Formats: sequence, C-alpha cells, structure tokens
Amino acid sequence: MKISPYLATAALATLTIPVFTRDGYVIQLLNIAILNAIVVLGLNYATGWTGQINFGQAAFYGLGAYTTAIATREGIPWIAAPFLSVLIVVLASLILGLPTLRLRTHYLAMTTIGFGEIVRLIIVHWEPVTGGTSGLRAIPGISVFGFGPQGQIQHFYLLAAALAIAVIVAVRIRHSTLGRAMIATKDSEIGAEQSGVDTVRTKLLAFMIGAVYAGLAGCLYASSIRFVSPDSFSGTQAVLLMTMLIVGGMGSIAGCIVGAVTLTILPEALRFLGQWYLVLYGLGVICIIVLAPGGLASVASVARLRWAAQR
Amino acid sequence: MGQLIVNGLALGSIYALVALGLLMIFNTVQIVNFAQGQLLMLGAFIGISGAVTHELPIAMAWAITMAAMALVGIVFMVLVYFPLRGRPPFLVILTTIAMGIVLENLALIIWGPLPVSLPSPVHGAPLRFAGVVVSMHQLFTFATLAVILILQFILLTRTRFGILMQATAQDLQTARLVGIPVSRTISPKPIVVRCRRITGGADFSGRTNYGRKPGLEGICGQRDRRLRQSSGCSHRRLVFRPDRNLRRPLHLVELPGCIRLHRHDRCSCRMASWPLWREKQREGVS
Repeated sequence: MKISPYLATAALATLTIPVFTRDGYVIQLLNIAILNAIVVLGLNYATGWTGQINFGQAAFYGLGAYTTAIATREGIPWIAAPFLSVLIVVLASLILGLPTLRLRTHYLAMTTIGFGEIVRLIIVHWEPVTGGTSGLRAIPGISVFGFGPQGQIQHFYLLAAALAIAVIVAVRIRHSTLGRAMIATKDSEIGAEQSGVDTVRTKLLAFMIGAVYAGLAGCLYASSIRFVSPDSFSGTQAVLLMTMLIVGGMGSIAGCIVGAVTLTILPEALRFLGQWYLVLYGLGVICIIVLAPGGLASVASVARLRWAAQR
Repeated sequence: MGQLIVNGLALGSIYALVALGLLMIFNTVQIVNFAQGQLLMLGAFIGISGAVTHELPIAMAWAITMAAMALVGIVFMVLVYFPLRGRPPFLVILTTIAMGIVLENLALIIWGPLPVSLPSPVHGAPLRFAGVVVSMHQLFTFATLAVILILQFILLTRTRFGILMQATAQDLQTARLVGIPVSRTISPKPIVVRCRRITGGADFSGRTNYGRKPGLEGICGQRDRRLRQSSGCSHRRLVFRPDRNLRRPLHLVELPGCIRLHRHDRCSCRMASWPLWREKQREGVS
C-alpha cells in the first residue's frame, strides 16, 4: 500500500506536539482523540466496510473499560486486563450479533441502540460492582511486569503506538479476502452471496473485530485516564462515534482518524461560543454530510481533482 | 388498577400521536425521523410562548404553533430531506439526529433548562365512575388521537393525494414512470406532518429534557411488521386497548415485484407498472 506523503508528514508532526507544549490539558485531549480514533476504526469495520449500522460501539467501549477497571481494582495484574476485556467484548458482540445481524437499516439501528441502553443501565444500576453513576476512580495504571508509562506524555506515545498497530491491522484486513468480502457485502449482499461470500459470517466477523477494537481502546482508556463513568459510554457517545466516522469519511482509514481527532478537539475549540457551540456543531455535521458525501477525507482529493480540472 | 389503565391510555395516546407523525413520514418518504422528540418539544415550547408568555387565547396560540411548526417542517425538508434523497438511509438517520441536537440546544438557549407547563385548553370537572377519575384533559387527548388517526387514515388511503404519496415513497422511479409529479407530491408532506405534531406537543407539559425519549419510544412503538399500516402503531402503543375492530387492515395489494399499492388506488399505477415488475422478477431481484 502506498502511503500518502501528506499523511505521513501529518502523523510525524502530531508525534512532535509534546515537544512544543507541556500543557496537560492539550495532551489529555489528544490522548482521548487517539482512543476515539481506535474505536472509530473499529466501527469502520461494521459500518464503513460492511455497511451495517452499529450504535452499540460505545457500549463495547464501555464494557472494555469497565472490565479493565473492575479487574485491575481487584488486584489482577494489568497484563491480564486486555485479554479479559477482549474476552468479555467478544462474548457481548456474539450475543448481540448472532440474532440481530440479519436485520437491516432502521431495525438494526434500533436493536443496537437498545443494546447500548442495556449496557448503560447495567453500569448505572449495578452499583456494588460498577460504582453506579459516580463511576470508578483510582484505577491502577498500565504496568507490565513493573514497567509502565509515567505521566501524560508517555501515555501519549503509548497510545499513538497502539493507534499505529490498529491502523496496520486495519490496512492488512482491508486488503485480505475478509476485507474484500466486507466491501462486497456492503455493495450488494445478493451479489456477494452469488460470488460465494458467507455474508452472515462476514458481518459477524466485522462486528466482532470492531468490538475488539473498542474493547482494547476501553482497556487503555480505563488505565490511562484512570477514571470511568457511565457518561463516557452513553447513547450520545455512540451517536458521536458514528458522526466521527461519517464526518471523517466512511470506509477510509485516514478518514476515521481525521474524523475522530477533529470531532474530539472541535467541541473544546468552540467552547468560547458558550451555549451556541452545540448548535453550530450539529449544523456543521449536517453541512458535511450534505456537502461532502465522502467526509473530510474526500475533501482533499475532490479539491485536487477540481484544481486539476481547472488547469 | 382502573386508574392505572386510564393514565396509561392517556400517556399512550400521546405517544401514539408521536408515532403517527413518524409513521406519516415513514409512509410517505421512507425516512425514520430521530428528531421527532425534539420537534415535539419545540411544538410544546412555541405553544407555551404563545399561550403563557404572551397570554394569547389558546386557539390563537395553537394556530401560531401550527404555522411555526409548518415552517420548521419546510426548513427541515430543505436542509435534511431534499439533499439526501437517494443516499444511504443511515446518513439520513444521522442527519436527523444532528438536527435533533441543533433543535434541542436552540430550545435550551431560547427557553432555558427549567420545565414549564402549558394550561390545558379544556376545563371542567373530571368525570368519575367506579372509582376511576378521568380528567377533561385526558378525554381531550383521546379525542385528539381519534380525530387525527381517522384523518390520517383517510388522507393516506382514501384520497388521491395520499395514495400518490404512498406510491412515491414505495418506489420513486416507478411513480415517476407512471406520471406522478414526484417533487410536487413530496413537498407538502412534511408540512402536513409538522402541523399535526403540535397537537401532541401541546399535551406534554413542555420540558426540554423530554427531547430524545418520546421520539425513541415512538419509533419502538411502530417497530413492527405493520410499519406501513395506520392502525399498526396505535395498536402497539395502546397495549390495553382492545381496538382490533377499530378498523380493518389496509389490504395492501402485494404484487410479486417491487410495487405495492392500495386496492382503491385510482391512478392505474398497477397496470402501468406491469412490464416493470415482470422484468424485475426475471432478474430475480425484488
């Protein structure tokens, strides 16, 4: 796969940000943006490539985060936490996916919203274990055999590395048989089945891989932010993740990252607008959906085409 | 227990009104509108502004609300629906959700976060029988639901315009082929819908945080095989109500191909679409 020089430059520039600013707020925001980017990359499997609406991604994110939080607070060594999170999330995605992935469009959207609500309500009401609405604090940090990142800047590099791995896996899967099967399923289920693609299996796999991404991101979230609360994984968050995917550009890996980073930083950057920022935010999202069907990722290439056409 | 049923029915009627609005949109443009709850809230707040803040007579407040909501409907249509025709359905879903965020926060800015309530348009002592109290407002709600249900049913299935709307929703291409003026048919829809919505809105004591919930429940209410049938969603909402004989099912004519029309349709779509569905059938695509 050819890597765009612009993207590589942008990625490298991002890596040098901690050199210029020691502001904890900025770094923390970037860390959350990176975590969101991993979750959105996961969402891209089911929604961007396979064409299945999934509003349950925030719930998987939450399941991963809460599993890690509860397990490490109980004294289980951190190294086991990612595996536990993945296990729980895979089980949950099977429970949700097996019966529902035969549904389509509005119906699938409704069931995944329902799943997200169930997970949120369990987290809110199972207080002895999950801490209810006040969440869980003092979660042990990342530590592998006594080594672990200290401070936000080290976490930033760790999370950036995790994102890089997530991107590489996504690129590899995209160009594998499975990735092509996903695209085929999205384009035409009947056509894909005619060509010998097991669409139900493909959809389920896309769903599960996406959930695993969310689970791992949740695990990193819990042990790098060290605080989890149900608000971070509500239905609003699910919609936000979907918006990031669409604004960034569905089906494009770069688009997922651009969308996640933009929509994580934008609300903070617009804070000076006070109450109006959510109004403008909503209008902005509508504008992008209406005016740039391919998302932000397509804006550059469309502009380049226009520019070439004018010359 | 009897009281519980009456209260449930009253609340159910309001949800049924919302669900009917959703159904109207789904029936005519095949979009599930996730901003329905917010629109309901907006209707309620405009009503409150008129009736409480400016102390207008109730009827006038209602007229203003209807006009304002029709305007919102047009804006909604221009902003959300027209540019997204023919795009994947979940883009439209997301746009309606984004629109919901916009409306909710606009209402927060304009009316503030505190709940306010709208006086009921009907007065009078509540009816009592067998220990069950039915307030005039609840009766009014039932009456509104009944009237709107019947009006919508008649509009969609008994008028030429309603049938044209259903035809354009079910298959735009075919509708265009058989000579239905598609754009002209689609445009007035949201206006009709928005006018209707305020009746529901006025029944709620207006609360901003009511935004998302009724919309979702409305959608749940009609998440049902009979999504297309007027009676479907009110069956679902009014769980207690044995209204199976309220009206007979719609008798949709199921053609083997893509187009589904009402038996009473007078625009001869069926004959005109003959070769079309034969073609589709041959390809094995439905």
